[in-house]
Amino acid sequence: MGYEWDFTVVLRDFDLLLLGLLNTLKVTGLALLFGVPLGLTLALLRLYGNWLVRIPVGLVIEFLRSTPPIAQLFWFFFALPILVGVEMDPFKASVLTFSLQSSAFFAEVFRGGIVSIDRGQWDAAKALGMSRNETLQRIILPQAVKRMIPAFLERAIELMKTTTLVGTISYADLLYEANSIAQSSYRTLEVFTVAAAMYFVVIFACSVAVQLLEARLTRPDESARH
Amino acid sequence: MEHVWDFSALLNNKQLLLIGLRNTLILAAVCLGLGLFFGMLVGAARYSKKPLLYWPSTVFVEVFRNTPVLVQIMWFFFAFPIISPFDIDAFSAATLGLTLNTTAFSSEIYRAGIRSIERGQWEAGKALGMSYGEQLRRVILPQAVQRMLPAFMNRAVELLKMTSLASVIAYPELMYQAKIISTIEFNPIEMYTSVALMFFAIVFPLALLVQRFELKHKAR
Repeated sequence: MGYEWDFTVVLRDFDLLLLGLLNTLKVTGLALLFGVPLGLTLALLRLYGNWLVRIPVGLVIEFLRSTPPIAQLFWFFFALPILVGVEMDPFKASVLTFSLQSSAFFAEVFRGGIVSIDRGQWDAAKALGMSRNETLQRIILPQAVKRMIPAFLERAIELMKTTTLVGTISYADLLYEANSIAQSSYRTLEVFTVAAAMYFVVIFACSVAVQLLEARLTRPDESARH
Repeated sequence: MEHVWDFSALLNNKQLLLIGLRNTLILAAVCLGLGLFFGMLVGAARYSKKPLLYWPSTVFVEVFRNTPVLVQIMWFFFAFPIISPFDIDAFSAATLGLTLNTTAFSSEIYRAGIRSIERGQWEAGKALGMSYGEQLRRVILPQAVQRMLPAFMNRAVELLKMTSLASVIAYPELMYQAKIISTIEFNPIEMYTSVALMFFAIVFPLALLVQRFELKHKAR
């Protein structure tokens, strides 16, 4: 096929793409900032709350995990403002959706980590006269968090990939910028390919970093167990 | 502000929603079938020691695992037709994106599953005079598939959710139909709530099944 590639448009508007990437990172970062503490809270409520708390919290987590993020985003952007009469803009809706969506997944990571800690650790803490909260704070969580780091970072990478949805409600992330440059310049192939490459560079770098970290983390842990 | 819930518009557009539901399920089934099949081939290629098989399959897997699936779908819809010799409609673009994405992720499941089977099983197959392909097909895969089942079902769960992205390129699946109906009927609250509930009704039972399978495997 005699298609002539022409990247001048991409080069001319590269700063727009970079700006979009920055917005992608901004939404991801803020969603992490809110999603992680919320996830920990949800996990603790699901594990240690009484049934009146446990069941609704479990339902919320499962609901957020079992529905498509785009449905959630549209709900928070189009439905919620009418329902409760708040002002909503694409940025707020994006941060809200992805904080909640990721918190459900982080809750499961936290829960898995906490559950994986040996029962004996609880008993030992109790023997030292610690309360449940003290045991969680001083004994269980520090160990659990260490084990959770890889799963946690993988979720963060997933989150970054999922934020590409924000373009559908016109928040100017990388994909949204790429789309608008492509539609106005007709250089669709070049623009989308470069945007995909930019995503790849960022996400692949993160994945490799996670793998390296994982390799470093598992080794001392293995030896400590024997 | 008091909102009065009114689902009547939903019932009036029942037909549209059913079409959407059908298209969602078709897209998911097609991509799952193709993705698991090609995933097996790519997984086997990544297990190979031949560089001509190993490197292209590895690059493919890394590219598709490390880019957002929406970017893949949009690339196939907007960019690919320019160099493609045949026409690409929304369904083919969504199928291409989702199938290749599922291929990449499931190939890793196959690879891990095959690796988890003891070396001795290969040797036993070889001792019986089986070729590499026969060892894989008759001895390794039947055992590995059982271990891989929860992971495959997880992929199905993810895939079902991902089909909603096809709405972005105007493939009339559930999410897209909801968008259309909500603009005609001005009922985003009822519409998006019901569509989320419909997805939940499909995906959650599957997710529960995965959890049960995983527990069973841990207990073993």
